[in-house]
Amino acid sequence: MRTDGASRARIGDYLLGLMDDGERQTFEADMAADPDLAAATARFAKRLSSLDATAAEAAVPEGMWDRITARLDETPQTLPAKKIEKLSPSRRLMPMALAASLLVGVALGYGASLLMPAQQQPVVIVVLNTPDNQPGAVFEAFADNSVRIVPLESFAVPEGKVMQVWTLYDKAVGPVSLGTLQRSDVVTLGGQDFPRPAADQLYEITLEQAPGSPTGKPTGPILVKGFARTPAG
Amino acid sequence: MEAMAESDDVCDRLLERVSRGDRAALGELFASEAGRLIAIARRILRRPDLAEEVVQESFLAAWRNAASFDARRGHARAWLTTIVKNRALNLVRDGGRLELMDDKALAGFKERASDADNAFDALSEGDALRHCLEQLEPQRRRCILLAYVVGYSHGEIAADIKAPVGTVKAWIRRGTIALQECLS
Repeated sequence: MRTDGASRARIGDYLLGLMDDGERQTFEADMAADPDLAAATARFAKRLSSLDATAAEAAVPEGMWDRITARLDETPQTLPAKKIEKLSPSRRLMPMALAASLLVGVALGYGASLLMPAQQQPVVIVVLNTPDNQPGAVFEAFADNSVRIVPLESFAVPEGKVMQVWTLYDKAVGPVSLGTLQRSDVVTLGGQDFPRPAADQLYEITLEQAPGSPTGKPTGPILVKGFARTPAG
Repeated sequence: MEAMAESDDVCDRLLERVSRGDRAALGELFASEAGRLIAIARRILRRPDLAEEVVQESFLAAWRNAASFDARRGHARAWLTTIVKNRALNLVRDGGRLELMDDKALAGFKERASDADNAFDALSEGDALRHCLEQLEPQRRRCILLAYVVGYSHGEIAADIKAPVGTVKAWIRRGTIALQECLS
């Protein structure tokens, strides 16, 4: 596999910690969609790690591990996107579906607070562009990470495929799934226990194998992508 | 290198257990990696207390997000190192916390550039990275080491080597491309 100069320059800036937040999120989304880029980055990272290995190991202060264990109870673990997928498939907000999602949310205790999104104010708005830079969808994301999706283009979804909605709230975590869509309809995806959406957070829709990406990360082509903005006023 | 590959696999398996809520596995990961990670964070932050705080928060982040780790896209040790480095860089670039430094700590902070040279000197003779870094112009090599080892921004590097920021950016870009070609 060949990696071109432009990609290598980006890999370098990424691993040297020289990207700003927006560049880093874009790069990580690109890596998630491009296994060759991810592999080239991992190879260079591995080589550079020799420099990290030259640091003389520091003493670990006594009590540090106890301070960590003391906080594990209040630190819920994120479920893999694949598992969440099965629990909250995309659907129009029908009363039955809402009730079912609520039950699942409560049973799992991961606080899927499915308040009626219509009564909430979105915390961020995202205009998502197609790869040829045309607006393709608008998202309103709420504090509980529920997302109202208004498609501006009708995307063809082949048999056996779904559209999967992702966001990247933390580069260390990588893209996380917010749910899947069968058609280009106005739809609201249920809330999830991720940090409150923030300005400049990346959102995208990719085309994936039904019932959702087998790896829990984006693997298919990006249909639309955009960065969150906070509503003015 | 063999020992490193072995501990890579051990850490991958530990993180997999962590993702299933295994606290003992997190404890083993902490015992094996915390000292190394504090040392890496200290090169960037200088202040031991801040470095320890960053590593502590990183282990909690690893606990929270272990399920999102994908072993097919790199090793758990590299994943942990990235979390620690990004958190350290955010803290140092944010700057607010570092204003609390006393004069002695501040002097140490300014001297952190020497750690970049030391890291290069400490690379083993047989390491391909050392060989490829040696092929670079000394100025370009220094730019790369200052960014990677001690977390300098483009602006800090420019001040250190007394060159315009645009030049520094171009040198780093060409330097990292040359490095990857040399290593492949």
